[in-house]
Amino acid sequence: MKIQRLEKVSSTNALAKKERGEPWTIIWAQEQSAGYGTKKDYWFSPKGGLYFSVILPKTDIDDLQTLTLLAAFIVAKTLKENFALDCFIKLPNDVYINRKKVAGILTENVLSNDTKFSVMGFGLNTNINQFPKDLENTATSLKIELKEQVNNEKILKQIVKGLKKQLKTISQ
Amino acid sequence: MKLKLKLNGKIYDIEVLQKNNKAVKVKVGDKEFTFQEKEEDIRIAKASFPKRNFSKKEIVAPITGEIAEIFIKKGDFIKKEKKIILLSAMKMENEIISDFEGKVKKILISKNQKVNKGDILVMLE
Repeated sequence: MKIQRLEKVSSTNALAKKERGEPWTIIWAQEQSAGYGTKKDYWFSPKGGLYFSVILPKTDIDDLQTLTLLAAFIVAKTLKENFALDCFIKLPNDVYINRKKVAGILTENVLSNDTKFSVMGFGLNTNINQFPKDLENTATSLKIELKEQVNNEKILKQIVKGLKKQLKTISQ
Repeated sequence: MKLKLKLNGKIYDIEVLQKNNKAVKVKVGDKEFTFQEKEEDIRIAKASFPKRNFSKKEIVAPITGEIAEIFIKKGDFIKKEKKIILLSAMKMENEIISDFEGKVKKILISKNQKVNKGDILVMLE
């Protein structure tokens, strides 16, 4: 697992699409100035949160769709196993705790008749102390729920490991 | 001679190891098969490919989804690998790029339209 650790980027997915690194390269930023989700919806990305993109190997588009759905389960499983938190998955791939969003996943592909490039971006509200007024009723963080700091690197590695395992299974 | 055969979504590695008048030895994955002498024992699959006009420059939907953005307009000259359309599907955002170079003859879809896998989206000339 090759991890590129960066301080502040516009968006880890945008950077991954621009750089097009090797499969399983992880772009991990401490902060995003223009983090986004589906339809370019803004993703609040201050320091403390976990923001990373995984460059995926060339994979059939149907398998990528399955993997995108499974990614939410991998995140929920990681949070449940590490912190005994009850997570709710809003399909296709947002993760909620106590009816508030804690994580989101966005897969972006470049393709013509086959897949040229794929990146899966993860935004997890981990060590975020508080949210702005417009988000405080809809978003939460692990720190708010657990009242303690969590280890971002450990969570990242477990998610990537889960992703590798699932991709191997569905590609067989 | 090495080949890859995709059957029911699974890819098989096929290698012809030995070929003479009496026998053909073929390796599929890690298993070897030998076809002997009698001609009727060697079944040759007649491959029939669907008729397709490769001179047609059509950009088709690789996946079912909804058209989120169209980056081109009729009459544009586009180069190979140019970003044509953004297709959203189950929280995957798919940038469709062109396999061809040419002038946009017809755009058959509009923004927010739902499309099925295989639908023709854009025609070039």
